[in-house]
Amino acid sequence: MAFRQFFRSDIAADVDEELASHLEMRERDLVAEGIPAEQAREIARKRFGNVAVIGRACREIDEGIYRREKRTSMWRDLRQDLAYGVRVLGRARGFTVVAVITLALGIGGSAAIFSVIEAALLRPLPYPNPEQLVEIMVESKSRSGRMARLAPSVDDVRAWREHRDLFSHVTIWRTIFDPIVVDGPELERLRGRQVSEDYLALHGVSPLFGRGFIEEDMREGAEPVIMLGYAYWQDRFGRDPNVIGRTLRIDNVPAMIVGVLPPSFSRDVPIWRPHKVPPRTPQSVRGSGATVYARLQPGVTLANAQRILAERTRASDLATGIHPADGIAVESLYERATFGYRNTTDILAAAVGAILLIACINVAGLLLARGATRRAELGIRASLGAGRLRLVRQLLAESLVLALAGGVAGALLAWVSLDLLVANIPLSLPENSPPALNVRVLGFTLMLAIATGLAFGLAPALSLSRVDLSGTLARANQRFGSSLSRRGGQLLIAAEVALCLVLLAGAGLMIRSFTRMMSVDVGFDPDSILTMEVIPVDASAPVLTQYYPALVESLRTLPGVAAAGAINNMPLQGGSTLTAARADGADWMSLHTREFIPGYFEAIGLRLVDGRLPSPAEMTAAMPAVIINAEAARQMFGEQSAVGRRFERNRKGFFHVVGVIGDVRHSGPTRPPDPELYLPFGRDDADAMVVVIRPSGTTGNLHWQLRRAAESVGPRVVVQRIRTGSDWLDDRVLTPRRRTVLLTLLGALGLVLSMVGVFGMTAYTVARRTQEVGVRMALGARAGQVVRDIVRESLWPALWGIAAGIGGAAFATQVIASFLFETRPIEPVTFAMVAVLVALAAAVAAWLPARRAARVDPVSALRVTT
Amino acid sequence: MERTTIDLLQGTLGVLILKALSWGPKHGYGIARWIEETAGDELPIEEGSLYPALHRLQARGLVTSAWTTSETNRRVKTYTLTEEGRAQLKAELSRWQAFSQSITRVLSARRP
Repeated sequence: MAFRQFFRSDIAADVDEELASHLEMRERDLVAEGIPAEQAREIARKRFGNVAVIGRACREIDEGIYRREKRTSMWRDLRQDLAYGVRVLGRARGFTVVAVITLALGIGGSAAIFSVIEAALLRPLPYPNPEQLVEIMVESKSRSGRMARLAPSVDDVRAWREHRDLFSHVTIWRTIFDPIVVDGPELERLRGRQVSEDYLALHGVSPLFGRGFIEEDMREGAEPVIMLGYAYWQDRFGRDPNVIGRTLRIDNVPAMIVGVLPPSFSRDVPIWRPHKVPPRTPQSVRGSGATVYARLQPGVTLANAQRILAERTRASDLATGIHPADGIAVESLYERATFGYRNTTDILAAAVGAILLIACINVAGLLLARGATRRAELGIRASLGAGRLRLVRQLLAESLVLALAGGVAGALLAWVSLDLLVANIPLSLPENSPPALNVRVLGFTLMLAIATGLAFGLAPALSLSRVDLSGTLARANQRFGSSLSRRGGQLLIAAEVALCLVLLAGAGLMIRSFTRMMSVDVGFDPDSILTMEVIPVDASAPVLTQYYPALVESLRTLPGVAAAGAINNMPLQGGSTLTAARADGADWMSLHTREFIPGYFEAIGLRLVDGRLPSPAEMTAAMPAVIINAEAARQMFGEQSAVGRRFERNRKGFFHVVGVIGDVRHSGPTRPPDPELYLPFGRDDADAMVVVIRPSGTTGNLHWQLRRAAESVGPRVVVQRIRTGSDWLDDRVLTPRRRTVLLTLLGALGLVLSMVGVFGMTAYTVARRTQEVGVRMALGARAGQVVRDIVRESLWPALWGIAAGIGGAAFATQVIASFLFETRPIEPVTFAMVAVLVALAAAVAAWLPARRAARVDPVSALRVTT
Repeated sequence: MERTTIDLLQGTLGVLILKALSWGPKHGYGIARWIEETAGDELPIEEGSLYPALHRLQARGLVTSAWTTSETNRRVKTYTLTEEGRAQLKAELSRWQAFSQSITRVLSARRP
């Protein structure tokens, strides 16, 4: 305790005074002994020694004490303050719970969503220096003057590899679109990727096991080798590290496994093969569908690379005598990977920002309200000698404890909710790098929460300095908070309700849009069908033309099957085969061709609009009889009936329309129906088919029967994905569904946070006005009237917030206009519903704590204040 | 007074101060007077060297200080022995006694 009197500025004065007092007392004693005054002074000094030297020695020692003391007292005070903070918050349990929930939701929610956004936007290419990765395309001017982009040829790639000044790597690759048959642990049809030898080096990746491809693997006649993708290796080989050196039969050719790719690299591509190109084949010319990636040398800009490469390529084209390239396009892979999501992520980021803001407003409001009721306590502590600095520090410690508690809860929530978010996210997240909880983002939101806590936690301490102590003490019993903090609180309620309304308006529009999307008639009832994909392994076309009708026929005899058929391009699957066709005297147009096995229309539930179905004989006639859909009929023949008319297919002769069938929204509910041509199976080049079943009852063990039928009837086939029509529909609406779910989640989070805010503020209104309520009740006021008054005090600012929010929403919802289906960004009905929802929520949140006011016992309420 | 003498006496001075404070708080001048009177002579040191010694004792937590008013109504800095100081004094005393006894024994030894 004695040490506390040390202040750095006092040390010198202290020492001087101490030494001076010694000299004085000695002098006085000498004088008392009878020595003359002047002589006494001299003797005293002489006996004392060098005052300056001794004084300096004392000062140095004292400064050491001071420094040590300051250090230890700082820690002691901090510990004390924190412990006191914990005790205070423990007593104010309601306040603490509300504040911690608010912080946890705000911090946890935002951190989790930011982590997802980061995964989508900030690191979509998890490779070293992703900004150096580019795709190169050759530009060629068509006769009409339009610039077309062609895939570079293998020769181009060879030439470009020589430009070491521009690129460190140039690689060529292509997706193997036709599924390859892998006779591995199970018979499968898989997609793969063909890559040249430097594909991995360009990405800065090396195999998990074994080796990557080398130049020899690319040569014609080289022994076939493959690499396995991580997911395939995991699923089919149980992560067996001895898989290297084993062979897999791929399209009936044994290929040796030389490497396994790491989990972070295109893990979902199962099979990797060397990009072999026979010389002088169509693949060796431009426009063959391969993709060329390159890595820019450090310091080379995109524009420079493009300009220099264009000049050199044109020069060498002219030298070799091929049609010269009109330009070269070099595009950043990084830009491209982030471009498509930027809109969605920006909107989500803004929504998350709004959530964070609401959380901060909540904390601010709570602290402000609490501060108002604590002025008496602080006033008493100040009058008992607590310095203002000490009070400020105490309040800071309290806020810190609160923010830390909220932060810990928030981190836990973020951790738990991230998985939930990932499953519902509207972005096709990069397969290579699943989102991980971002510690920096968590830190950032935590700092923001702490800053808010500190700023608003200080308000009562700072406002205290403006009030003289006696006044505060005199009013200590008075629970009416200052009008300033009440106004502030009301403003904060209005602000957070407004933000919440904007969020909910956005979410409401998305929900409405999604509902409309789901109620679109896609042309058939997805719920009433069952499908099965049947992919032949090695059967020839004649075998298949026998097999599929036989399979459908056998399925029809199964109990529980009302109808069966098959189609090559299943509606809602998305894929299409296009054919050029024209009616007599009309322009060429594109028709989407489908190949079907009879029974398909009955099974899926498509009805004839006009005409009839052709007989098998008609379908194989010289001029085949075919069915088109209503959209094709309209586009080719206008308003007249299409039945009996004929049209020409490019290089395939004439076709005779005998029936018009109903439209199907093949690419999903938001896309208009395509003009379709239905051909009998075998007419063009379909091989894999989707069998469509209409079950008559429950589909209990139908799955197993379907599979067995398909596998036992004929040639070797792969049967996969036995699923319902609704599953197909879900695939199509996945992105809008996820977008809707996420925005709705954010809106709900905002609503909950706002309700917590209104609840907290009202609870403090009640606490503050207990005395007033007591007086009024004593004077005969009805409980209902009192509750209404208190609710009104919170509800008015909420209503103002709703009004402001509607105004804000009218602007803000414009940004989601492009995501909305048949829904305008300003929809009075939606806005009104959201406004009513928010108003009701605010009323409930205000009413819950307000009820307590009605239970105030006038006598005890008055006694509290005496 | 020679500087070496001060150094020599530095450690001893601390014990003298602790002893001076063992009957109650004193200010620096009071300590000087008590030693003077008890020793029966002027201190064989500069009086000022008491003060660095006092402050050092304070830094070690053996004494505490406070500003008080003296009997002659003057503001003086008064030092009080702490518990640690009292324990220290006791330890120093027993050490001194053991030391002086053995010196005495040696010095009073008779020729064998």
